[in-house]
Amino acid sequence: MPDRKMFWRIVRRLLAANRGRLLVILLALSAGAAVTAALLNLQVDAKRRLTTEFRAFGPNVFIAPRGDDGSATQPRTMPESVIQKVPLVNEGNQVVSTGWLYLIANAARQASKTGALAASVPVVVAGYTGGVQQEMLNSRPTAAHLLTDGLPYCDLGVKVASTLNVHERDKVTLRNGSIEEVCSVWYVASYGGQQDNQIFVHIETAQKLAQLPGKIGLVQVVTTGTPPSIERFIRDLQQRLPDSDVRPIRQFTEGEAKIYDRISGILSATVALVLVLTGLCVMAAMTNVAMERRNDVGLMKAIGGATRRVLRLFLAEAAILGLTGGILGAAIGILLSMWLGKAVFGVAAQPRLIVYPVAVALTIVVAIASAYPLRRLANIRPASVFRGEA
Amino acid sequence: MFLRLVADSFSRRPRHKLLTGAALALGMAVATAALSVSLDVGDRLAHEFRSLGANLLVTPQADSLPLEIGGVDYRPVNAGAYLPESDLGKLKTIFWRNNIVGFAPILDVPIFVSRFDVLSEDISKIKPNASLIGTWSAHAVAVPDGNSYVTGIEKTNPWWQIKGNWFSESARECVVGANLARKQGVKVGESIEVYGFSQAGPVRVELRITGLLDSGGPEDDSIVAPLATAQWLAATSGEYRKLYVSALTKPEDEFGRRDPSTLAPADYDRWYCTPYISSIALQIGQVLPGADVRVIRRVADGEGAILTRVRTLLWLVTFASLLAAALAVGASSAASVIERRTEIGLMKALGAGSGMVGFLLAAEQLLLALVGGGLGYSLGILLARVVGQKIFGAAPAFSSLVLAVIVSLAAIVTLIGSAIPLRRASRYKPAPILRGE
Repeated sequence: MPDRKMFWRIVRRLLAANRGRLLVILLALSAGAAVTAALLNLQVDAKRRLTTEFRAFGPNVFIAPRGDDGSATQPRTMPESVIQKVPLVNEGNQVVSTGWLYLIANAARQASKTGALAASVPVVVAGYTGGVQQEMLNSRPTAAHLLTDGLPYCDLGVKVASTLNVHERDKVTLRNGSIEEVCSVWYVASYGGQQDNQIFVHIETAQKLAQLPGKIGLVQVVTTGTPPSIERFIRDLQQRLPDSDVRPIRQFTEGEAKIYDRISGILSATVALVLVLTGLCVMAAMTNVAMERRNDVGLMKAIGGATRRVLRLFLAEAAILGLTGGILGAAIGILLSMWLGKAVFGVAAQPRLIVYPVAVALTIVVAIASAYPLRRLANIRPASVFRGEA
Repeated sequence: MFLRLVADSFSRRPRHKLLTGAALALGMAVATAALSVSLDVGDRLAHEFRSLGANLLVTPQADSLPLEIGGVDYRPVNAGAYLPESDLGKLKTIFWRNNIVGFAPILDVPIFVSRFDVLSEDISKIKPNASLIGTWSAHAVAVPDGNSYVTGIEKTNPWWQIKGNWFSESARECVVGANLARKQGVKVGESIEVYGFSQAGPVRVELRITGLLDSGGPEDDSIVAPLATAQWLAATSGEYRKLYVSALTKPEDEFGRRDPSTLAPADYDRWYCTPYISSIALQIGQVLPGADVRVIRRVADGEGAILTRVRTLLWLVTFASLLAAALAVGASSAASVIERRTEIGLMKALGAGSGMVGFLLAAEQLLLALVGGGLGYSLGILLARVVGQKIFGAAPAFSSLVLAVIVSLAAIVTLIGSAIPLRRASRYKPAPILRGE
């Protein structure tokens, strides 16, 4: 169709007419697309990354044995198998659970040679399963932390350590009634909470001391995800474990939800602002184009070009510019966001394929919308252009 | 003549100038909004993080080890040390007093609780079946400088939900944990009998229930009552066992983590005058003799890590939007110069040097930048207020720094934006331009 062929030929000519200006518009468009793509990608990633950051607060769900007997003197227990019933993954997010058994035992420092006991003090002994204590307690590591199951290592809160006058590599004797266990202190840490008053041992040691084999008193669960996802996780757990009391640690779940809302609000607001700016950028460039094209349009109209067709010509030009700028810019932007993610969160943001077409489409929309100044060309009267009137 | 040329250029093509000015103002408005929101966001977020509650815990130095399991202290009543309540006003005298957003002392007392009176012959047989948490709710603390400061457990444990009302400090009232209330079958408005175990024997107090507490923690099995009630039940006077402090802090960086005792005097002053959690802890320790102030690492470290990341992220994003604004403004000022090729050609033909032409155009652009930047600033502040109000429920504080940055950014960007086409314009030969080529 010769008509269409002519159309594209004119568009090609329009594009090639002024190399410098073409470059400026392309630069503006691709810069806009780059920033938009980078922010969109980062926004998706940052929100997800933030929920991971909340792990720093430690456990946010706990499971306790149910029971309304009202006696507060004897801590209740439940079988260790409860831990196995907690899923390992929640909607793609890792779930870490640790079982705990608390008891009160008399602790004393064991003198290295004689084995004689120093004065003993009642202390809360916390037995835990697995080697995730670091994460569960969120302590500040003071030494490389290695836990070998079966070996009676123990970690001490600062207050216990100073009361018992023990240091790392010392030995501590724990006694509950007639049962006695010796453990070697692996490290001493400050947690700032009641953990400072506790001795941490492997669950088996605690079970032996308490004469409660295979029993635990509490499960702490760390999970990440958006607040609604955590809510669903808790509801699911409540159904899986009808005999236990599954509760969110409100202090952290509520605080996290609030903070998450604020931060994602800020990110969304900034993305919106940047999109507006990109539009402005292109609009400014297009105003310039409109000014320069007066003569071209006057000529086209004078030789019988309909206003609609002329406008279509310019819109096609804008769309091509938007497409090129978008494809170039979005690619740069995604690379940029990966670098930004690395700078902020220490992990490169994952490129999300969905961001790419969205950023390109947004750029085309912005380019066409910013061609609004070209509408003024419709009002041009060929005669006045040729007379050289402004 | 120079001024006349500038004035003429503005009056002759008001629409063009308006367009360039509008683009400039809009770009700068967005930049202002982004800048003031991100300048403000650190403080706002720090406030938000206080919804996690206290980040400092104060206990007596000479205390025996608390035997606390699931929120119940298994120590005998008279074991352990206490701290005097009368010192607490001093907390608002430390260097970073305005960063302390709340504090609440706690005194736990084992109690026997019942809906009904215990018969006098059974009174010696009762054993503790719950614990009573004595604390403050909206308590006015006398600060040594003569003012008073209202604080309480709602500030340090903001996640506690009360169905009903908090007790009033002076009345015999209490708030009952939801679990305990269910077990005892009591409701808001009823009264409950509470027996304490002092050395002289059980003491009885009747408390009216003003609310039910849902904390999601072990407090749901306790009674929360005014500190004075707890002190009376424990037969101590004016003492508490632990104190929760919630303070606004700056995330600890490499410097903040250093041991203050190893710092040089100048560095020590800098450390002391920075609201790191550890320096606030030190300052609290200085005004509360005999107290051991510890940082609740779980709260403080998590907060520090997230705040640092979010701040970095926002600065990068702000930088990106400033860059985009600069591009937009630069492009529009470049456009306005390109438009005036003919005029430049004419001026040159009449004998104006390149420097003179450049100076004239630069002056025009600067004038535009000042007006547009100023206008954009006011618009941007409005925008920032809307955004701040929407996200944080509070408008960001006015900052003259933002004004300075925005106006100078506007000036620099328009100058750079027009400098590129001006350079090209200075190479124009007047004749072809005037011929319309």
